Amino acid sequence: MSKPSDLIQGTLDLLILKTIALEPMHGWAIAKRIQQVSKEVLLVTQGALYPALHRLEQQGWVRGAWRESESGREAKFYSLTKAGRAQLDRELEQWHRLSSAVVLVINAAHEV
Amino acid sequence: MTTDRWWDIVRMRFRSLVKRQRVESELDREMRYHLERQVEENIAAGMNAREAREAASRMFGGVSQIEEACRDMRRTQYLENFLEDLRYAVRMLGKSPAFAVAIVLTLALSIGANSAIFSVIDGVLLKPLPYPQAERIARVFYRGAEYAKFPMNPWDFLDFRARNRSFENFAMYTHADVQLSGTGSDPVKLAAFRISSGYFRVLGVQPARGREFDFSEERPGNGNVVILSDRVWRNQFGASADILGRKVLLDSEPYTVIAVMPVGVDHPGNSYNSVAYGDNVDAWTPFTFRGNPNNRGSHYVEGIGRLKAGVTVEQAAADFNGIMTDLASRHETEQGWTIYMVPLFQEIVGPVHKMLLVLLGAVGLVLLIACVNAANLLLARAAARQKEIAVRAALGAGRGRLVLQTLAESLLISLLGGALGALFAIVGVHVLVSFLPPGFPRTDAIHVNAFVFAFTALVAVATGLFFGLVPAVQASRTDPRQGLHEGGRGSGASARQMRLRAVLVVGEVGLACVLLVGAGALLRSFVNLLRLDPGFQPEHVLTAEIALPNANYKTTDNIASFYQRLLTNLHALPGIAAVGVGTDLPWTGYDENIGGFTIEGKIPPPHEEFHARYHTSSPDYFRAVGIPLVRGRFFNERDTKDSPRVLLINDVMARRYWPGEDAVGKRLTFDDKPKEADWFRVVGVVGDVKDTPESKGAEPAFWWPVLQQPFPFANMTIVLRANRDPLLLTEALRTNVHQLDPSLAVARVRLLDRVAEQQFATPRFALFLIGLFAALALLLASIGIYGVISYSVSQRMHEFGMRVALGASPWNLVKMVMKQGVLLTMIGVAIGLGCALALGGVLDSLLYGVSARDPLTLIGVGAMAVVTAALASLPSARRATGADPMVSLRAE
Repeated sequence: MSKPSDLIQGTLDLLILKTIALEPMHGWAIAKRIQQVSKEVLLVTQGALYPALHRLEQQGWVRGAWRESESGREAKFYSLTKAGRAQLDRELEQWHRLSSAVVLVINAAHEV
Repeated sequence: MTTDRWWDIVRMRFRSLVKRQRVESELDREMRYHLERQVEENIAAGMNAREAREAASRMFGGVSQIEEACRDMRRTQYLENFLEDLRYAVRMLGKSPAFAVAIVLTLALSIGANSAIFSVIDGVLLKPLPYPQAERIARVFYRGAEYAKFPMNPWDFLDFRARNRSFENFAMYTHADVQLSGTGSDPVKLAAFRISSGYFRVLGVQPARGREFDFSEERPGNGNVVILSDRVWRNQFGASADILGRKVLLDSEPYTVIAVMPVGVDHPGNSYNSVAYGDNVDAWTPFTFRGNPNNRGSHYVEGIGRLKAGVTVEQAAADFNGIMTDLASRHETEQGWTIYMVPLFQEIVGPVHKMLLVLLGAVGLVLLIACVNAANLLLARAAARQKEIAVRAALGAGRGRLVLQTLAESLLISLLGGALGALFAIVGVHVLVSFLPPGFPRTDAIHVNAFVFAFTALVAVATGLFFGLVPAVQASRTDPRQGLHEGGRGSGASARQMRLRAVLVVGEVGLACVLLVGAGALLRSFVNLLRLDPGFQPEHVLTAEIALPNANYKTTDNIASFYQRLLTNLHALPGIAAVGVGTDLPWTGYDENIGGFTIEGKIPPPHEEFHARYHTSSPDYFRAVGIPLVRGRFFNERDTKDSPRVLLINDVMARRYWPGEDAVGKRLTFDDKPKEADWFRVVGVVGDVKDTPESKGAEPAFWWPVLQQPFPFANMTIVLRANRDPLLLTEALRTNVHQLDPSLAVARVRLLDRVAEQQFATPRFALFLIGLFAALALLLASIGIYGVISYSVSQRMHEFGMRVALGASPWNLVKMVMKQGVLLTMIGVAIGLGCALALGGVLDSLLYGVSARDPLTLIGVGAMAVVTAALASLPSARRATGADPMVSLRAE
């Protein structure tokens, strides 16, 4: 089983925020979506997912609400708050800066 | 960051704390949903139900760990832990109710006393005066070599008002009670003031109806207008709507009512012939005067002004002193004065400021002792609970957690103490206010309000943290191994704790000694005051004031004959030992009526004149008040208008102006070019009476016989010395006055011993409170001593048993235990007396005839503390004698 540390610290938050940016989702669906979209590369375990969701909720970036899911049972759906959307933008920008910096370093190392 | 987000965060935290059950069950449902979806997926992938469930659980991992991780995300675990600690503390306290009651009660008493004193301080010293922008109001006095505060001359006042650049408004006022008649009911005496226009603008209050005086009404002949208080308007005029323009009789002269003031116009207080701040004043008339503007020797008006914005009292005083210098250069009588200007607030609360701070300090010390005591008791419990704490430490409780656990307990105790203390404060303030000495300023402003409760809460929390910290840190040092295997004697930890507790007890005793020294000094000072010979005999004496209105009693003859007839009638009453009238009832405040005179055959020192206070009295006045004759004779019936002029003088005057001579028979005069008939002969010397019991000495004074008064003394005090209960004479006195003149009011009927008693009210109040605090402190300290010694004995029972086995007598054991208690106390006493010596000056202004560093007090306090310590150790010493050698030997 992959540990949360498989993902760069903070990246999980970004993935969750990005995933629910389109529509509210429950925990199971978020994990599945990340798995599918990343073509089975990123496996988010429950042990990482739920604490992360609760943290985001406590920080006011996502909001949870109980409603009927596609399976016909009640599930807790997470949606982005306004502050969460702003946070997503910040995290995206940070991610782009970080990843392009990493790419630069790797390419430079290649030339040596 | 958006406020929305903060709101969300607060909502989530609140939910986590308050709706904990619901949050937990939702978390559970969320986990279950996930698990079920996994199971479904597994089944869809071809597993049977059991396999699918097992696989899902494997994949999911530990549900409770995930849930715990989610809980951590809520960030409220500190608070939750703390609440848990509190619940635990409640259970622990419930298990030892005696301990809980003792510690909560001592804290409640100390916190309550602090809150009560604080509410007095809040009302008197912290609340602003009830005038708009009261900080801009200042009082103006003259100050000379002999007088710290002296009234102004009215001509000077006009100059100051016209020439000063510092005040928005500058006004004067002088106390002159009036008799109100012509209202259809009995005449009444009203507390009244004569004021200049602008007086109410200085105070910042407007009439409820009508208008304030203007300049034109200050002119002689225009002044027959009056402003009435709301109280008089309601009581005497039935709140009549057409009061304005109504004619009333004041001292039998017609006045027109031009205004009624609203409720609660507080008198700013005056010092000359004084009416205290906040006392009822019922009528205000314009101050009018005539005379020669170059004759400025008479001083009887008091200045009050509202400073212009941004002008300080110092600047205004400098401005006034400039004018004063100019006045002095033009008027000989105005030489030698400077201006003393003081903010109104300071003038009002100044006299009690020091005492209140001393009381706050004292009550703060009591709280400190209570804290130390609580810390001590908690330490003792911590010792008893060492095993439990060690177990908790062994089970992984961190140091922080252990500190918090102990703090939770101390906070619980102090908050309980605070809540109970607030109740004590509510009761205490009522008691305190009823004990306040008469004339104490602003007693109406003293309330237990939200601010006081906030103070109480703050003190309670601070107290809890303070006394909890020592035991908390101590507990966190507990070494689990030692705690677990230790049998309970002689370990390093308990020796350390013992030392700590000894230090605390020493501190407690020291603090208590400081308070005891203060109380002892106040007690000695109070005894000194009581032992003083007042100079008169206040028992069985009834007094009352009468004012003869100028309209009906124009000449000195009118006045003298009225009093003569009244005294003759009163003398015939049964049960009268002596009856007289006079102008200077002892200890009722004094006026600065100073007369200058020439003594036959003597020349005053350069730039000085002979002077003394002047009064008038009837022949039996001194016998009625109980003032003794030192030499010569009192006045008698033969001292009439037509007989040779005579005087009585007091002993101080005799000794000052005729040192080494007999003053009786000597002559003096008040005329610059006396004829033979203008000389007054001293016929007797009477005993001295000081202005107040605390005054350094009496002032020189002399008396004219009522029948020879050189100018009219319309206001006098009747003094009746009775053979039986003097109050029984009250009705007869009124009847006799009204038989002679039904329009007169008999005012301020009171007993002379009550008047005298009031002079001791302030020292008695200070002594009562400080004494109470000191007693509380001593009690707390003895609890501390008892606790430490008793614990030490319980630790040493084994040792005592051994000693008995080796031949020690019970008396040896008692001595050993007592020595320990007394030794600790003596260290505390030494420290405490040292502190008391250092702090001694603080009390000096409250003491009479004794210093706060008085050796007798110090020795007495030390002895008292040691005796108390011995008594507090006694029960433990007795227990030590019960040590059983067999038990000790078996244990070896």
